[in-house]
Amino acid sequence: MYLKVFKMSSRQKFIDAAQEGKVLLLQCVKCMEMHTSTTYFCRKCGASKFADNIIDGTGKVATYTIITVPPAGFEEHVPYAFVVMKLDGADQRISGFMGGIATPADLPVGAAVRVYGYDERGLLIKFQ
Amino acid sequence: MESVCVLGAGSTKYGRLDDSIVDITVQASADAIDSAGIEPGDIKAGYISNVFGIADKQVHLGPVIMSNLGISDKPSLSIESACGSGSVSFREAYANVAAGFYDCLLVAGTEKVTHTGTEWTTTYFAYCSDFFHEGSAGVSFPGLFASMARAYLTEFDATEEDFAQVAVKNHNNGILNPKAHLRKKITIDDVMSSAVVASPLKLYDCCPFSDGASAVILCTEEFAKKVGGDYIRVTGSGRGGSPAALQGREHITTIPSTVLASKAAYKMAGITAKDVDFAEVHDCFTIAEVVDTEDLGFFEKGKGVEAVREGKTTLNSDISINPSGGLKSKGHPIGATGVGQVVEVYDQLTDQAGPRTVNDAHIGITHNFGATGASCAVHVFESV
Repeated sequence: MYLKVFKMSSRQKFIDAAQEGKVLLLQCVKCMEMHTSTTYFCRKCGASKFADNIIDGTGKVATYTIITVPPAGFEEHVPYAFVVMKLDGADQRISGFMGGIATPADLPVGAAVRVYGYDERGLLIKFQ
Repeated sequence: MESVCVLGAGSTKYGRLDDSIVDITVQASADAIDSAGIEPGDIKAGYISNVFGIADKQVHLGPVIMSNLGISDKPSLSIESACGSGSVSFREAYANVAAGFYDCLLVAGTEKVTHTGTEWTTTYFAYCSDFFHEGSAGVSFPGLFASMARAYLTEFDATEEDFAQVAVKNHNNGILNPKAHLRKKITIDDVMSSAVVASPLKLYDCCPFSDGASAVILCTEEFAKKVGGDYIRVTGSGRGGSPAALQGREHITTIPSTVLASKAAYKMAGITAKDVDFAEVHDCFTIAEVVDTEDLGFFEKGKGVEAVREGKTTLNSDISINPSGGLKSKGHPIGATGVGQVVEVYDQLTDQAGPRTVNDAHIGITHNFGATGASCAVHVFESV
């Protein structure tokens, strides 16, 4: 069977949206299932055509960690948080880097945060 | 389908090893061959699991191992599935014996990373995550499991001391295992006062980076009977998958691949979680063991910590979890771990586990996953 796959990566579009404080979601045009990740096939119906759905990058902290032993390239940022946030505008989560977090008291679960960019630290998140 | 058995098992010590990745793999394989009472020439193919062979300047490990065993004409392959490589390789070997392609296989897992240092290992291990969404934002593997831990602490009646109790329990078991990496008794205070690696996880919540190799001989029951040594049966084999990134999972405190793999393995073996006498589970971090014991069906979701608190998972209690010491104390040479778990089950079910023996055990399982559980395999073993 020949599959008509949309073969262009959506990574750059995801990054471009993040630079504007937005989040690119991919919505399946067949079953309307929403996807956060840069997928090529719908997890629900298997279709391979998606419509871009760009929403505000605001949300609440679902969980996080504070990194004190970092991988290479992140040494100068320690301590910092890796945050998984639940988006306000969709039933989806995204993950990213949040600087300036030293102790759990600095970042309660449920805190209101937003995406504000993308650079060598990945997706950037800060308090609203 | 052929009845498949483990006929022999061998392992190096886990820890910081001086010999090369090739040497340690051959040493474990030779021990397994001796344990099985066979000759290398009896082996029809080799399944080698490894992740970071490149760190010791050797990839394409299969033919190198077979050559060193004097059977360079025998086919081999290398399998990588992050920290779950060993069990995934075991599964593929199992399927080939069950299907009748081979009557006797070598399954060997190996890793050699400690010489590279903490920064290298932390960095390269992070490549096992869904890197675009996770590793690129500076999260380490302790960080990903710490995110799981914080979600668990938020959602359920649990404390960081509960997680620490898992480490204490596994170290108590590991002390009884001469091949364990960290044979040291620790207390809850030791865990709580150890350096924070990724909040809320502290150093003693984390398994060590280890070198090590483990190997087993997998064969048909007919072959095992002909050889005549001690063997155990593989009665269930299950696999599952999860969204690669934590963010994409319905619940952050459940690993879907564990649920899928264990259900499939139990069904194939015709058992339920209640029938399991002991389990070698993937406790790369203390939170992981708590989540595992729930996802494997031993305890209800959110009750895994209560079980730890009440001592239900200690050696020879309700269900012995990680009698070997687990990844936490025995160590975690990531390509070897899944095979090493089978070595422990073989030793347990053939009365070779010494002071850490699980009394009257007939059914043991192995549970091993890759990354944060994006890939997983569960196997059920029964004594003959």
